[in-house]
Amino acid sequence: MPFYEKGEARIHYEEAGSGFPLLVIPGGGLNSTIAGLATHPFNPFDEFKGEFRVIAADLRNAKGGQSTGPFEVDRPWDAYTDDHIGLMDHLGIRDFMVLGFCIGGPFIWNLLKRAGDRVVAAVPAQPSGYRPEMPDLSYNNNMKGWGPELCARRPGITMAMVDAFLTNMYRARADFVYTVTRDFVRNCQTPILVLPDDVPGHPYAVAMETVHLAPNAQVSLYPWKDTPDKIPLAVRHIRSFLRAYRPVAAAQSMAAAAQ
Amino acid sequence: MPFYEKGDVRIHYQEAGSGFPLLVIPGGGLNSTVAGLANHPFNPLDEFKGEHRVIAADLRNANGGQSTGPLEIDRPWDAYTDDHIGLMDHLGISEFMVLGFCIGGPFIWNLLKRARGRVAAAVLAQPSGFRPEMPDLFYQNNIKGWGPALCERRPEITMATVDAFLGKMYRANADFVFTVTRDFVRDCRTPILVLPDDVPAHPYAVAMESALLAPNAQVSLYPWKDTTDKIPLAVRHIRTFLKAYRPATATR
Repeated sequence: MPFYEKGEARIHYEEAGSGFPLLVIPGGGLNSTIAGLATHPFNPFDEFKGEFRVIAADLRNAKGGQSTGPFEVDRPWDAYTDDHIGLMDHLGIRDFMVLGFCIGGPFIWNLLKRAGDRVVAAVPAQPSGYRPEMPDLSYNNNMKGWGPELCARRPGITMAMVDAFLTNMYRARADFVYTVTRDFVRNCQTPILVLPDDVPGHPYAVAMETVHLAPNAQVSLYPWKDTPDKIPLAVRHIRSFLRAYRPVAAAQSMAAAAQ
Repeated sequence: MPFYEKGDVRIHYQEAGSGFPLLVIPGGGLNSTVAGLANHPFNPLDEFKGEHRVIAADLRNANGGQSTGPLEIDRPWDAYTDDHIGLMDHLGISEFMVLGFCIGGPFIWNLLKRARGRVAAAVLAQPSGFRPEMPDLFYQNNIKGWGPALCERRPEITMATVDAFLGKMYRANADFVFTVTRDFVRDCRTPILVLPDDVPAHPYAVAMESALLAPNAQVSLYPWKDTTDKIPLAVRHIRTFLKAYRPATATR
């Protein structure tokens, strides 16, 4: 059960398969864990380990996970992104692809902002975003579903700190995908494949807005998970997208290995 | 203006670009022509010539086209597929991908039936199919929109011959995608990308049924051409699909 450690951050991660690296960010909001992937529409480990080196981690301080770290009230999104980039560094990986569910959407955009030259292609699946008609949804969900249990587990953390953290994370940036601006997306040349959803935390309108803004974006069928028989269609789209943008050298070494 | 000739068949085709071959079958029913691509949601010659050797042809005996040949009333679908396969042979192309609009859907399934080992991947855009609530749609469309002009141009062809041809083409196998069975699609391992439509001749239900049956199929967003800003999203999907399934040797 491997851990990556840097300073006070201790991140539990798992890997499977070999090939070009694919960082997977599970959904589940601030309780995003590897174990949670079992309840996702599909498990990227199962689907892509045959062609990629698939890596996923428990989010720092997620309930039910094994990752712990400082509670950085002033930079909530960036603290998590530190862990994603740090894990790639720890594993000796420079270039990678990323596939993220739910909260993985905002995390992917933050990764693209901070390490865009390392991210070869990105797949936000059922991405989170801001919904103007429910402006406090993410704050409230986490005040109830994440903060209390965290405070019980970590006596140094109070609900006042959780409030400040969540306020900075969700209320101070209450727009679009939280982590980047529309101008950033408009100028982002990275290939993007979005699989939209439309539950309260995953607004279809924001998913489609990113797709229309990003100059190298594409989108899956929608809905893609209302019936089990459609999910394989979406997974095949992801697979061909990842294959198409995998660097040629990696594709050639895969082909040679297959022979 | 190149032509491929074989026996009484003379097929006008065009090519653009270089790279792994991509055969394009224009839409337009039996009046499918290269020129007609200008009115399609996107023009594959423009979109893919930067990465592929794109080849398209006028359908044999299409009005407005320059391809001619016998009217083979006993084997209408296969006669057209002969031309597609024959053109690839003529150009020295063993393996290729195919992208077809509208009637290109049934043609692609027929190509996969007859030359599956040569088709690396296939894209069916707004594919035609049988709609039970309008069972005679294709026969009627073509008996009015294709037959009369053809007979006028080719005195040896009569409307009785056209009737026999269309009867065999659309009424004799009035089901699904006309050219293959559901069992064939279920067993077809070729990577398939379907871009559904839902006008009378392009039933959404058949497009999705084929996508859900074919074990290596995927499907685009839908609708993908109701607004102009969605078409580039679908084209990018096609581009990555073609790139992903282009044989490895062709990428080097």
